[in-house]
Amino acid sequence: MKIDWGHISIKDLAALVTRQLKRHGIDALIVGGACVSIYTKNKYLSSDIDFISHAALKDISNALAELGFKRESSRHFERKGCPFFIEFVPPPAAIGEEPVKEKAELRTRYGRIILLTPTDSVKDRLAAYYHWNDPQAFEQAVMVAKAQKVSIREIERWSLKEGHKEKYKIFVERLKKKIVKS
Amino acid sequence: MLEGLFGNIMIEKIFFYLNTYGEGYPLGMAKTFGVSVNRIQQQLKRLENAGIVASILKGKVRIYTFNLRYPFLRELKTLLSKAYEFLPEAEKDKYYRMRTRPRRTGKPL
Repeated sequence: MKIDWGHISIKDLAALVTRQLKRHGIDALIVGGACVSIYTKNKYLSSDIDFISHAALKDISNALAELGFKRESSRHFERKGCPFFIEFVPPPAAIGEEPVKEKAELRTRYGRIILLTPTDSVKDRLAAYYHWNDPQAFEQAVMVAKAQKVSIREIERWSLKEGHKEKYKIFVERLKKKIVKS
Repeated sequence: MLEGLFGNIMIEKIFFYLNTYGEGYPLGMAKTFGVSVNRIQQQLKRLENAGIVASILKGKVRIYTFNLRYPFLRELKTLLSKAYEFLPEAEKDKYYRMRTRPRRTGKPL
Protein backbone atom coordinates (compact mmCIF):
# COMPACT_ATOMS: atom_id res chain seq x y z
CA MET A 1 0.00 0.00 0.00
CA LYS A 2 1.39 3.39 -1.00
CA ILE A 3 1.54 5.81 1.88
CA ASP A 4 0.73 9.49 1.41
CA TRP A 5 3.15 10.79 4.03
CA GLY A 6 2.16 14.41 3.47
CA HIS A 7 -1.46 13.83 4.41
CA ILE A 8 -1.16 10.95 6.82
CA SER A 9 -3.30 11.13 9.97
CA ILE A 10 -1.68 10.93 13.38
CA LYS A 11 -3.56 7.70 14.09
CA ASP A 12 -2.36 6.04 10.88
CA LEU A 13 1.20 7.17 11.51
CA ALA A 14 1.03 5.80 15.04
CA ALA A 15 -0.14 2.47 13.62
CA LEU A 16 2.57 2.35 10.95
CA VAL A 17 5.27 3.05 13.52
CA THR A 18 3.82 0.54 15.98
CA ARG A 19 3.68 -2.12 13.24
CA GLN A 20 7.22 -1.40 12.14
CA LEU A 21 8.56 -1.58 15.68
CA LYS A 22 6.65 -4.80 16.29
CA ARG A 23 8.34 -6.34 13.24
CA HIS A 24 11.61 -5.70 15.04
CA GLY A 25 10.29 -7.17 18.29
CA ILE A 26 9.87 -3.76 19.93
CA ASP A 27 6.84 -2.86 22.05
CA ALA A 28 5.90 0.78 22.36
CA LEU A 29 3.16 2.68 24.15
CA ILE A 30 1.71 5.95 22.83
CA VAL A 31 1.42 8.67 25.46
CA GLY A 32 1.04 12.45 25.60
CA GLY A 33 -0.71 14.75 23.15
CA ALA A 34 -1.12 12.10 20.44
CA CYS A 35 -3.55 10.23 22.71
CA VAL A 36 -5.53 13.46 23.03
CA SER A 37 -5.63 13.83 19.24
CA ILE A 38 -6.82 10.26 18.81
CA TYR A 39 -9.42 10.40 21.58
CA THR A 40 -10.82 13.77 20.49
CA LYS A 41 -10.76 12.93 16.77
CA ASN A 42 -8.22 15.71 16.20
CA LYS A 43 -10.13 18.41 18.03
CA TYR A 44 -6.67 18.97 19.42
CA LEU A 45 -3.96 18.09 16.91
CA SER A 46 -0.57 17.19 18.31
CA SER A 47 2.46 17.86 16.14
CA ASP A 48 4.29 14.80 17.41
CA ILE A 49 3.73 11.29 18.68
CA ASP A 50 5.32 10.40 21.98
CA PHE A 51 6.18 6.75 22.43
CA ILE A 52 7.59 4.98 25.45
CA SER A 53 9.66 1.88 24.89
CA HIS A 54 12.23 0.00 26.91
CA ALA A 55 14.11 -0.94 23.75
CA ALA A 56 17.51 0.59 22.96
CA LEU A 57 17.29 3.77 20.88
CA LYS A 58 19.76 2.25 18.46
CA ASP A 59 17.35 -0.62 17.73
CA ILE A 60 14.43 1.80 17.43
CA SER A 61 16.48 3.93 15.08
CA ASN A 62 17.27 0.94 12.84
CA ALA A 63 13.61 -0.08 12.70
CA LEU A 64 12.37 3.43 11.87
CA ALA A 65 15.04 3.97 9.23
CA GLU A 66 13.21 1.41 7.10
CA LEU A 67 10.20 3.76 7.13
CA GLY A 68 12.43 6.68 6.17
CA PHE A 69 12.61 8.23 9.64
CA LYS A 70 15.92 9.73 10.63
CA ARG A 71 17.09 10.30 14.17
CA GLU A 72 17.42 14.07 14.47
CA SER A 73 18.36 14.38 18.12
CA SER A 74 18.93 11.93 20.89
CA ARG A 75 15.26 11.00 21.15
CA HIS A 76 13.34 12.39 18.21
CA PHE A 77 12.84 11.21 14.63
CA GLU A 78 11.69 12.99 11.50
CA ARG A 79 10.77 11.94 8.00
CA LYS A 80 10.94 14.18 4.98
CA GLY A 81 7.43 15.14 3.91
CA CYS A 82 5.78 13.86 7.07
CA PRO A 83 4.08 16.60 9.13
CA PHE A 84 4.54 14.82 12.45
CA PHE A 85 7.71 13.92 14.26
CA ILE A 86 8.17 11.02 16.60
CA GLU A 87 9.66 11.21 20.04
CA PHE A 88 10.71 8.41 22.35
CA VAL A 89 10.36 9.72 25.86
CA PRO A 90 12.43 8.02 28.52
CA PRO A 91 10.81 5.05 30.27
CA PRO A 92 9.18 4.01 32.55
CA ALA A 93 5.58 4.67 31.55
CA ALA A 94 4.27 6.56 34.54
CA ILE A 95 1.61 9.06 35.40
CA GLY A 96 2.82 11.13 38.29
CA GLU A 97 4.27 8.67 40.77
CA GLU A 98 2.29 5.68 39.57
CA PRO A 99 3.21 3.19 36.84
CA VAL A 100 0.81 2.79 33.91
CA LYS A 101 -1.08 -0.42 34.67
CA GLU A 102 -3.69 -0.61 31.93
CA LYS A 103 -3.31 0.04 28.22
CA ALA A 104 -5.86 0.65 25.49
CA GLU A 105 -5.76 -0.94 22.08
CA LEU A 106 -7.31 0.51 18.93
CA ARG A 107 -7.55 -0.99 15.47
CA THR A 108 -6.66 1.06 12.42
CA ARG A 109 -6.27 0.21 8.74
CA TYR A 110 -2.53 -0.15 9.34
CA GLY A 111 -2.89 -2.39 12.37
CA ARG A 112 -3.26 -1.98 16.09
CA ILE A 113 -1.99 0.80 18.28
CA ILE A 114 -1.35 0.60 22.00
CA LEU A 115 -2.00 3.78 23.93
CA LEU A 116 -3.00 5.17 27.30
CA THR A 117 -6.59 4.52 28.30
CA PRO A 118 -8.85 7.61 28.13
CA THR A 119 -8.77 7.86 31.94
CA ASP A 120 -4.96 7.69 32.01
CA SER A 121 -4.78 10.17 29.13
CA VAL A 122 -6.76 12.65 31.25
CA LYS A 123 -4.45 11.98 34.21
CA ASP A 124 -1.40 12.37 31.96
CA ARG A 125 -2.59 15.81 30.81
CA LEU A 126 -3.63 16.80 34.32
CA ALA A 127 -0.13 15.89 35.55
CA ALA A 128 1.28 18.61 33.30
CA TYR A 129 -1.34 21.05 34.61
CA TYR A 130 -0.80 20.07 38.24
CA HIS A 131 2.98 20.25 38.13
CA TRP A 132 3.64 23.01 35.61
CA ASN A 133 0.37 24.96 35.56
CA ASP A 134 0.17 24.27 31.84
CA PRO A 135 -3.18 25.66 30.61
CA GLN A 136 -3.00 23.79 27.27
CA ALA A 137 -2.66 20.47 29.07
CA PHE A 138 -5.65 21.40 31.24
CA GLU A 139 -7.78 22.08 28.15
CA GLN A 140 -6.66 18.79 26.62
CA ALA A 141 -7.65 16.91 29.79
CA VAL A 142 -11.10 18.50 29.60
CA MET A 143 -11.41 17.62 25.91
CA VAL A 144 -10.62 13.93 26.47
CA ALA A 145 -12.90 13.71 29.50
CA LYS A 146 -15.76 15.17 27.45
CA ALA A 147 -15.11 13.05 24.36
CA GLN A 148 -14.56 9.68 26.04
CA LYS A 149 -15.92 7.61 28.87
CA VAL A 150 -13.52 8.13 31.78
CA SER A 151 -13.49 7.14 35.43
CA ILE A 152 -13.87 10.35 37.43
CA ARG A 153 -13.50 8.35 40.63
CA GLU A 154 -10.06 7.09 39.50
CA ILE A 155 -9.00 10.58 38.39
CA GLU A 156 -10.04 11.92 41.79
CA ARG A 157 -8.18 9.17 43.67
CA TRP A 158 -5.02 9.81 41.69
CA SER A 159 -5.29 13.61 41.96
CA LEU A 160 -5.60 13.46 45.74
CA LYS A 161 -2.65 11.07 45.94
CA GLU A 162 -0.61 13.50 43.87
CA GLY A 163 -1.57 16.23 46.34
CA HIS A 164 -3.59 18.40 43.98
CA LYS A 165 -7.06 18.52 45.49
CA GLU A 166 -7.65 22.20 44.65
CA LYS A 167 -6.64 21.89 41.01
CA TYR A 168 -8.73 18.73 40.68
CA LYS A 169 -11.74 20.74 41.88
CA ILE A 170 -11.11 23.30 39.15
CA PHE A 171 -11.02 20.47 36.60
CA VAL A 172 -14.32 19.00 37.84
CA GLU A 173 -15.99 22.41 37.86
CA ARG A 174 -14.86 22.94 34.29
CA LEU A 175 -16.31 19.58 33.25
CA LYS A 176 -19.67 20.58 34.69
CA LYS A 177 -19.81 23.80 32.68
CA LYS A 178 -22.02 23.67 29.66
CA ILE A 179 -20.58 24.74 26.36
CA VAL A 180 -22.20 28.01 25.26
CA LYS A 181 -22.44 28.29 21.51
CA SER A 182 -22.41 31.82 20.14
CA MET B 1 29.70 11.24 48.08
CA LEU B 2 27.11 10.04 45.58
CA GLU B 3 29.56 10.22 42.72
CA GLY B 4 29.91 6.44 42.56
CA LEU B 5 26.15 6.09 42.23
CA PHE B 6 25.58 8.86 39.69
CA GLY B 7 28.65 8.18 37.60
CA ASN B 8 30.35 11.57 37.97
CA ILE B 9 30.82 14.41 40.39
CA MET B 10 29.10 17.01 38.19
CA ILE B 11 25.78 15.17 38.32
CA GLU B 12 25.99 15.13 42.11
CA LYS B 13 26.65 18.87 42.22
CA ILE B 14 23.83 19.65 39.76
CA PHE B 15 21.43 17.55 41.82
CA PHE B 16 22.40 19.29 45.06
CA TYR B 17 22.08 22.64 43.30
CA LEU B 18 18.57 21.92 42.00
CA ASN B 19 17.50 20.38 45.29
CA THR B 20 18.64 23.50 47.14
CA TYR B 21 17.63 26.32 44.82
CA GLY B 22 14.78 24.66 42.91
CA GLU B 23 16.07 25.79 39.52
CA GLY B 24 19.19 26.92 37.73
CA TYR B 25 20.73 27.90 34.42
CA PRO B 26 23.96 26.50 32.98
CA LEU B 27 26.06 29.68 33.28
CA GLY B 28 24.97 30.25 36.88
CA MET B 29 25.83 26.68 37.83
CA ALA B 30 29.15 26.86 35.97
CA LYS B 31 30.11 30.05 37.86
CA THR B 32 29.08 28.54 41.17
CA PHE B 33 31.18 25.43 40.70
CA GLY B 34 34.03 27.07 38.76
CA VAL B 35 33.73 24.77 35.76
CA SER B 36 33.05 25.35 32.08
CA VAL B 37 29.49 25.94 30.88
CA ASN B 38 29.96 23.12 28.37
CA ARG B 39 30.59 20.63 31.12
CA ILE B 40 27.39 21.63 32.89
CA GLN B 41 25.36 21.67 29.66
CA GLN B 42 26.59 18.22 28.73
CA GLN B 43 25.38 16.76 32.01
CA LEU B 44 22.10 18.67 31.97
CA LYS B 45 21.44 17.34 28.49
CA ARG B 46 22.11 13.81 29.69
CA LEU B 47 19.73 14.28 32.64
CA GLU B 48 17.07 15.85 30.41
CA ASN B 49 17.27 12.95 27.96
CA ALA B 50 16.73 10.60 30.87
CA GLY B 51 13.65 12.56 31.98
CA ILE B 52 15.14 13.51 35.34
CA VAL B 53 15.36 17.25 34.71
CA ALA B 54 13.21 19.48 32.51
CA SER B 55 13.93 22.87 31.02
CA ILE B 56 12.03 25.91 29.85
CA LEU B 57 13.26 28.85 27.83
CA LYS B 58 12.73 32.18 29.62
CA GLY B 59 13.82 35.00 27.37
CA LYS B 60 17.20 33.86 26.16
CA VAL B 61 18.01 31.70 29.14
CA ARG B 62 17.21 28.01 29.49
CA ILE B 63 16.13 27.33 33.06
CA TYR B 64 16.43 23.80 34.43
CA THR B 65 14.42 22.21 37.22
CA PHE B 66 13.82 18.68 38.35
CA ASN B 67 11.26 17.07 36.08
CA LEU B 68 8.21 17.08 38.32
CA ARG B 69 6.83 14.17 36.33
CA TYR B 70 9.84 11.92 36.96
CA PRO B 71 8.24 8.97 38.80
CA PHE B 72 11.13 8.50 41.22
CA LEU B 73 11.59 12.18 42.05
CA ARG B 74 10.37 11.93 45.63
CA GLU B 75 12.82 9.10 46.34
CA LEU B 76 15.67 10.91 44.57
CA LYS B 77 15.06 14.07 46.60
CA THR B 78 14.94 12.07 49.82
CA LEU B 79 18.32 10.56 48.97
CA LEU B 80 19.76 13.97 48.10
CA SER B 81 18.44 15.58 51.26
CA LYS B 82 19.94 12.80 53.35
CA ALA B 83 23.29 13.02 51.53
CA TYR B 84 23.28 16.83 51.89
CA GLU B 85 23.41 16.47 55.67
CA PHE B 86 26.77 14.77 55.28
CA LEU B 87 28.33 17.53 53.17
CA PRO B 88 31.07 19.57 54.88
CA GLU B 89 29.77 22.93 56.12
CA ALA B 90 32.40 24.72 54.02
CA GLU B 91 31.03 23.14 50.88
CA LYS B 92 27.45 24.02 51.84
CA ASP B 93 28.51 27.65 52.44
CA LYS B 94 30.42 27.85 49.19
CA TYR B 95 27.86 26.34 46.82
CA TYR B 96 24.47 25.93 48.38
CA ARG B 97 23.88 28.94 50.64
CA MET B 98 23.96 31.76 48.14
CA ARG B 99 21.60 34.72 48.26
CA THR B 100 18.36 34.01 46.43
CA ARG B 101 16.14 36.83 47.75
CA PRO B 102 15.53 39.74 45.35
CA ARG B 103 17.76 42.76 45.07
CA ARG B 104 16.32 45.98 43.67
CA THR B 105 17.77 47.00 40.31
CA GLY B 106 20.43 49.67 40.73
CA LYS B 107 20.89 49.09 44.45
CA PRO B 108 24.60 49.22 45.36
CA LEU B 109 25.96 45.95 46.75
